Amino acid sequence: MRLLLVEDDPMIGESVRKGMRQDGFAVDWVQDGRAAELALETNPYDALLLDLGLPRKAGLEVLAALRRRGNPIPVLVLTARDAVADRVKGLDAGADDYLVKPFDLEELAARIRALLRRKSGRADPVIQVGNLVLNPATHEVSLNGKPVSLSAREFGLLHSLLERPGTVLTRAQIEEKLYGWDHEVGSNTVEVYVHALRRKLGANVIRNVRGVGYMVPKQT
Amino acid sequence: MRSIRGRLLFWLLSCLALAVVAAGARIYTQTLDEANQLFDYHLKQMAASLPNDSFGPLPPSRAEGPDAEEGLVVQIWDRNGLQLYFSHPGSKLPQRAELGFSTVETAHGSWRVYSALEQNNVVQIAQPMSVRQNIAAGMALRALVPLLVLLPLLGFLIWLTVGRGLRPLDQMASALGRRTPDSLDALPEGGLPVEIVPLVHALNDLLARLGRALESQKAFVADAAHELRTPLTAVQLQIQLAERARTDDERQAAFAQLKRGQARAAHLVQQLLTLARQEPGVAPQARSAVDLAQLVRLVVSEHAPLAADRNIDLGISHEDQARIFGDVEALRVMLGNLIDNAIRYTPPGGTVDVAVRLGAGTAAVEILDTGPGIPEDDRERVFDRFYRREATEASGSGLGLAIVKNIADRHRATVRLQNREPGPGLRVSVDFPLG
Repeated sequence: MRLLLVEDDPMIGESVRKGMRQDGFAVDWVQDGRAAELALETNPYDALLLDLGLPRKAGLEVLAALRRRGNPIPVLVLTARDAVADRVKGLDAGADDYLVKPFDLEELAARIRALLRRKSGRADPVIQVGNLVLNPATHEVSLNGKPVSLSAREFGLLHSLLERPGTVLTRAQIEEKLYGWDHEVGSNTVEVYVHALRRKLGANVIRNVRGVGYMVPKQT
Repeated sequence: MRSIRGRLLFWLLSCLALAVVAAGARIYTQTLDEANQLFDYHLKQMAASLPNDSFGPLPPSRAEGPDAEEGLVVQIWDRNGLQLYFSHPGSKLPQRAELGFSTVETAHGSWRVYSALEQNNVVQIAQPMSVRQNIAAGMALRALVPLLVLLPLLGFLIWLTVGRGLRPLDQMASALGRRTPDSLDALPEGGLPVEIVPLVHALNDLLARLGRALESQKAFVADAAHELRTPLTAVQLQIQLAERARTDDERQAAFAQLKRGQARAAHLVQQLLTLARQEPGVAPQARSAVDLAQLVRLVVSEHAPLAADRNIDLGISHEDQARIFGDVEALRVMLGNLIDNAIRYTPPGGTVDVAVRLGAGTAAVEILDTGPGIPEDDRERVFDRFYRREATEASGSGLGLAIVKNIADRHRATVRLQNREPGPGLRVSVDFPLG
């Protein structure tokens, strides 16, 4: 899951990026409104973490413009403005959730997971496809009720595929979801992780659609 | 006597009493004057009408009669000085007197004496002045007594009237007394006596100024609370990252970050305190003569380690001897903030020059750096509290220049920001008025 973090304060930005990476998200971080718009145009993100007091272009303007263009990306506003009127303004401008500084990293991660869950139309926090169960909050995966140990990248890849079973993700899409800008992506990395997952979960869990990408088949 | 009412009562009654006494004195002298003329004429008439041949003693009844009231004493002598008649033999009066009117002093008061030559006899009629004086005094008293009796009544009326006149003050006091600390709206000025309007006007003026000060304080506290959230958020996140660290290296890095975050929060609090102390009217100002050049040397040497750390050549380029009058501690904070800014915004390898210059009527401290300068549009706003320019690497509290502005204002100094020509660089000049 790839997030765009827009935060002008270097210390907060640095810490949130680090914390969210530890929680298994790929995070890109920009420090002003214009850079945020540029990043949103050029990369697919699963969610946007938006500070409101931004230089160059205010967070609310970025948000309003985003919604005017019909972009449905889940947006979590991070701000020091906690007055009810400010919250209402933020939500009315198109925010999906609102978190007041100072906030907790665990809570931030939980709210991001909730947003992603709602985006994919699920109410259940646990993703279940067939015998395979994935818990985004605890990073636990179990097959036939037995826990399976996965690395962070393996988990991220599986999570992306399980979000929308039956949908094919191209290798480029998977790479974008797994890596932020500052990670070098090896030419066959995705294959390496798919291979590892098949080894742990069984060969049929992830299907290769030749020339297109990978998918987890829908269970009927 | 503290009460206006009491004071007015006292002085008004005193003036009235004085006026009554003055009027009495005037009535007395005027009546005495008139009585003198009247009685003198009377004496003359009487002398002329006395029977020429009556030299026998007058019957006592006659002597006691009308004369007793007017106190007339009659003596008659013949040409040879032989006393023919004396109405009151006991009276001590001059045996001889000049013809015409005269006033004679005796042991029993002064007498008015008239002597005339009537055929062969000298007739002398005398009257004690006290008779005339008594008449005048009686007259004056009759006029004054009613006024004196009326004085207490007048006092009572004055007391009531003054109380009525002061009622708007009472009303204003109770209107003010009912106010809460928040209600600083102006008092109504309509319908007030002209004497009280200036007071109410001044009071409204004060209320308005208080209101503005209160507003700006509220805004400041709100801003400050809001601004404190940012470093506190950073600290909270850094603490959590430190908790999550699995290896010693990670933990060490996390704690290093945490220390920076904590230092930043502490710096902001320090700056907020400094700003609060420099707010006009907060602290008593310790003012003394300040040697600007000496102060600049001190502040520059204080910042030498920071400059060396960032590889910036910090020094004094020009030094005139200038003395100003001011709060040396505040001035140190102000120059420190400016030099600190110059060092932070100047890229490594740059130069920061500080100069003290005497001009016409001013002493100026100049700080020149080789940093990026400040665009014209931003030069006013950088003095606003918590205003941080976009795309600046240095993360300050946003209060440094607001503090500078406060201190400069208190010293009636002006702070000018100019970009250097040719650039790059910023020239900050603080101009103090001399004398």
